[in-house]
Amino acid sequence: MRLSVAAAISHGRVYRRFGLNPRSRLDLLRNLVTALVRYERIETPWARADEMRGYAERLIDYAKRGDKDERAMRMADFWLTEKDLIHKLFKVLAPRFQPHPGSYTRLLQIPNRDGLDRAKMAVIELKGNPLPPLPGPRRDSDKTLLNQLLKGYRQDAQRAA
Amino acid sequence: VLVLVHSPLPRIRALLQRCWGRLERGLWPGVFRGQSPPWGPALAVQGPALVPQGIKDTGESSAKVPSLLESMVWMAAPKQRRTIEVNRCRRRHRSKLIEIKRNIDVCPECGNLKQKHVLCGYCYEKVKEETQLIRMEIHKKEGGPFNAPAVETVVLYEGEKPTEKDEGKRIIERTRKRPSWFVQN
Repeated sequence: MRLSVAAAISHGRVYRRFGLNPRSRLDLLRNLVTALVRYERIETPWARADEMRGYAERLIDYAKRGDKDERAMRMADFWLTEKDLIHKLFKVLAPRFQPHPGSYTRLLQIPNRDGLDRAKMAVIELKGNPLPPLPGPRRDSDKTLLNQLLKGYRQDAQRAA
Repeated sequence: VLVLVHSPLPRIRALLQRCWGRLERGLWPGVFRGQSPPWGPALAVQGPALVPQGIKDTGESSAKVPSLLESMVWMAAPKQRRTIEVNRCRRRHRSKLIEIKRNIDVCPECGNLKQKHVLCGYCYEKVKEETQLIRMEIHKKEGGPFNAPAVETVVLYEGEKPTEKDEGKRIIERTRKRPSWFVQN
């Protein structure tokens, strides 16, 4: 199978390295997951947001099992360091995402950070949050000149046929 | 075998000690192999202390700059001056120039420039300010830390009433007109 250069060089390793050691990496990601569940939209470096996304979505999958489930409760207890968010997870987020089969988060890139490091930043948010919507990827509006001309051409072709 | 370790420089001394060690162990086959091992100095006399030289001499020898014969440390240095043509080829190579970006577009909402795969900076700033104000209202309502409610939240602007969909939700009031880009669901 043809892999990209980075994927080939990594020889199958998918987890990025963060922090001082693997335990510190998990703590870092745990803090981010807690913040995401609390604020429903956070701005972090892109690599951390990408890494955290998988963990957050799996946590919501566990929460969908219901809070009577022992494993789900233990997962929520580990991943959410602020214990009032466990209630929010099971009572607010699980019902909100019950109809959706997957992909509960949205990850979008932002202009680079203003500080000295100019880091690649991203905003990650839970779908269906009450905050103002992000200026997401918009399709071309129908009112641009090119689209109007194409629409006219399509209509002419239909009339001719 | 009389061996005189004469040189005062630490580097030379170390080098000679290494050579001697190699000779001892028979790892230096360049020198004659036929000798009966083990070798050992019959008499080893250290440096300038015992050699009958004046005290002034020892002072001078330790303060002397090492001559070219004794400084045996080789360092790399360029042999020839690089011509300006060669220099230009290296400095202006394609990998060293700044790439031009061809993925810059105009944001359809505000008209500022943005990269195609990145959110528009201006529009995102607007959204960020509004979320900051909403979060301040939330903080005021919650009163303290770790008071996240177990119900959904809805944001209502001036003159808006909660509908049937916002039945059990916590309402956050904002004292301004609804912005045009924040569509009510």
